Amino acid sequence: MSIKASAQNTKPRMPVSLETFSNYAIIAAFVIIFIAFSIIADGFLTGENMLNLVSNKVVLLAIVALGMTIVIGAGGIDLSVGVSIDLSSMVFIMLIAAGYAGAIGIIGGLAAACCVGIANAILINKLKINPFLATLGVLFIGQSIQRLSTQGGVPIYLTRSEFSATFEAIARSNFLGVPTPIVVMILCILVVYLALHRSVFGRYVAALGAQAEVARYSGIRVPFNLSIVFTACAMLSGITGILLSSTVRSYVPFSGDAFLLDAIGATFIGTAISAERRPSVIGTLIGVFLLAVMRNGLLLIGWNFFWQQVGIGVLVFCVLGLSFGLKKRSE
Amino acid sequence: MSVQSEISAPSARRLDSKALAKLSIRLGAFVAFGGILLYFALTARGFTSPYNLMTVVEQSAILGFLAFGMTIVFAGTGTDVQRGGIDLSMAANAGLCAAVYAIMMREGYGNALAIPVTLCTGMAIGLLNGIAVVTLQIIPLLGTLAVMNIAAGLELTLTENTVVPVKTPLTKVIAFGSFMGISTLAWCLIVVSALLVWLMHFHRIGLRLYAVGGHLEAARAAGINTGRYIYGAYIAAGLLAGITSILIISRLSSSTPGTGLMLLPILAAALLGTVFSRRFIPTIGGTLLATLFIGFLANGFQLLGISSYWVAGVQGALILLVVAVTSFAKRN
Repeated sequence: MSIKASAQNTKPRMPVSLETFSNYAIIAAFVIIFIAFSIIADGFLTGENMLNLVSNKVVLLAIVALGMTIVIGAGGIDLSVGVSIDLSSMVFIMLIAAGYAGAIGIIGGLAAACCVGIANAILINKLKINPFLATLGVLFIGQSIQRLSTQGGVPIYLTRSEFSATFEAIARSNFLGVPTPIVVMILCILVVYLALHRSVFGRYVAALGAQAEVARYSGIRVPFNLSIVFTACAMLSGITGILLSSTVRSYVPFSGDAFLLDAIGATFIGTAISAERRPSVIGTLIGVFLLAVMRNGLLLIGWNFFWQQVGIGVLVFCVLGLSFGLKKRSE
Repeated sequence: MSVQSEISAPSARRLDSKALAKLSIRLGAFVAFGGILLYFALTARGFTSPYNLMTVVEQSAILGFLAFGMTIVFAGTGTDVQRGGIDLSMAANAGLCAAVYAIMMREGYGNALAIPVTLCTGMAIGLLNGIAVVTLQIIPLLGTLAVMNIAAGLELTLTENTVVPVKTPLTKVIAFGSFMGISTLAWCLIVVSALLVWLMHFHRIGLRLYAVGGHLEAARAAGINTGRYIYGAYIAAGLLAGITSILIISRLSSSTPGTGLMLLPILAAALLGTVFSRRFIPTIGGTLLATLFIGFLANGFQLLGISSYWVAGVQGALILLVVAVTSFAKRN
């Protein structure tokens, strides 16, 4: 390492170092892709499409990805976000179907998600299972719980008009002219941003993510902080579950699993903007927007669902190759 | 282990029993596995019949092959799933290879052309992973995720998300043939495991691969071309995905969408396999045991007549139990 570094010093310095540029490569790529779609895709850069993009594609994924950002920031990973989403959605819909008020449903749903987080925390802290395996186990158990409570995975649809008031109030209402789901997302972003980047807790999370052992020896209460981390992630996923089921007015088992890989992808794409390759709220949001814009843009230029998958894979591959490859060249 | 007991033996009997306790915890995974097998043997009718045991081994072949691929990647890059290597594209790759093979068969190409093309597809996806992880230095979790999207998307475009039926003499032999009373699929599992055990644990390639996975800088300092080994691990995983795709097609007589869903079971098998090794590292033998463990669990539940709704949950709980027991052993 040191030999390399001294060798680098003898090179003539560029006005903007390659390393700095590599940190902005993701943002540059995002801007280029955005402009490209604005030019080639009809109806991409319209207010209607942008609102649709944000409220349908971004909101749900962003909230889950925020949770994932906290967990990955603390050096863990949470494969059970799908379970948190689904269980929260399931309890919420079941309570509404049983005639309870919307608020009770929301509390019930969040409580279910909270249980998933606590289960993860117990497995990781008390039984010392590594987060990947612990949350994988919870994922399997969660799938069973859903099968058992829905006779093998039968969706629950609440399309009758008596329920619509509750769902309208959550998914279709406005707050100061902004749709409620977007308000919820902005609140979540603010809270997670303050917690991760402007608080003592955030420093602890960063320490855990950088060197868990060192963090322990410096007197950070590792189990306590990890519990908060995993519960927070589960709660954020729970919020997504409630927004999701209010939007589609139903509970479809295992629908939360679709968010897992996108949330992990968005968070790690986001690490490309920091020099130390650490997850951050801003980075994750860029990752979420990047994925959403790619999907929406490819759809609008007429690619079918199958080719969209390939397209997104190739685009993400190229963008990351650019960012990480430049970083490597600069070292 | 032997060193420990030699040290403790002369000192005191109390220490001796402590070492024994340690040993038993350390063997916890094996005890749990054996206990569950014994339980099924006593309670589930027909569990111990040779036919049933053979069925489980056959069913385990597909999961086992894919988990072997993941094990090789883990061996070459470390099991830290966040920073170390991981191959998320494994299952999607097998799906893509199956689609390639099925489409080529439908278009009337012979096995002589279709099989090499299928295996090359698998290795090409592996190469793409290698480019992402080694050359471009993308975090493996992310690089292979992008490749997974590409592979899954290509599979969908090839098959248009439909079942493509395949029936050839070769797939018939793999699915129904047998030799010396052991079916072809079981033979495949036995031969490939033996080959991989030899390659990974008794050959210098395996030793060096473990060195690369254990400590990248140290391996490089020792003169190993680390990049080439990691490339090799991903390409080998891709090749295994290609081979598995032909087994999948033989068992299902078609290329069927949804192979990508095997990703989590593959990861579970490969990671669970680490608890069967003495130093808790990924090994071929451990992965084989873990795959059989998962297979026997599902089979036992079926024979006991437990509702299939429970299977995933109890599997998850047992995996957690085994891992928890061994993580206690690790700390001791």
